[in-house]
Amino acid sequence: MENGLERGIFELLCYMIVSARNLDQETKMYGPFRLVDAASRLIEILEESGIGDEFLSQVRSMIEANKYKVMTDKEGFVAFLDDLALKMVGRLKEAE
Amino acid sequence: MRVFEAIKGRRSIRRFENRSVDKKVLQKLVEAGIWAPSGGNAQTWVFIIVTDPRRIQKIKAVSPGMLGIPSALIVVCQDKELAYEKGGEIGRDTLSIMDAAMASQNIMLRAYEERLGSCAVLSFHKKGVQTLLNLPERIVPELVICLGYPAESPKPPERKFEEICFFEEH
Repeated sequence: MENGLERGIFELLCYMIVSARNLDQETKMYGPFRLVDAASRLIEILEESGIGDEFLSQVRSMIEANKYKVMTDKEGFVAFLDDLALKMVGRLKEAE
Repeated sequence: MRVFEAIKGRRSIRRFENRSVDKKVLQKLVEAGIWAPSGGNAQTWVFIIVTDPRRIQKIKAVSPGMLGIPSALIVVCQDKELAYEKGGEIGRDTLSIMDAAMASQNIMLRAYEERLGSCAVLSFHKKGVQTLLNLPERIVPELVICLGYPAESPKPPERKFEEICFFEEH
């Protein structure tokens, strides 16, 4: 795996598969955390490969700024996920 | 540095500077680890220091709890066969885990004294990490301690002393 994109995607897959295995025994809120963290990692890979865009970079910044609320502020974490979901919906709607 | 200063000042760090940590410093941290108490003085722990960035990246790929890019790892392991020989089932299944935790706290406090950030990670694939580190089956990784110079200073979560500390009775 010399290619950075290939390696990045492979390592992301490892992360997702091991997360699926470990989440069986972990706290329930780590499920949403791992998913949104995987989204951030995917955007980072796209950015490093020159195929990201400004909108996705904003999404990643939002994730990085808010993801650790899962440990100290569960309601705030869920509210952040709601805001993020609506941001994605706004982009979906624009693409109609 | 006073002990309580380190206890209160240490935070779990998940963002690190891109700067390597001297191997001698890492050895000092392990030395602090092995001065922790162990059940029945078993001392069945094994520590693997990892500094190769590529190996860290591979371990990170199978460790969902590892966030940020640490400059070094100390993988705190237990020799489960030896723990059984020395302490029976309770030694292998319970004491060895507690011993690993106590050693890890010593490591993280010493790391703080060395101005290093640390974060103990349990969410990793044990057999995956065993394979990546060429560990024999009896040597089981219990905790991965991420280390590096901190690039953040998180606020401490609240502690509720009055709600959890009792004298004499609950």
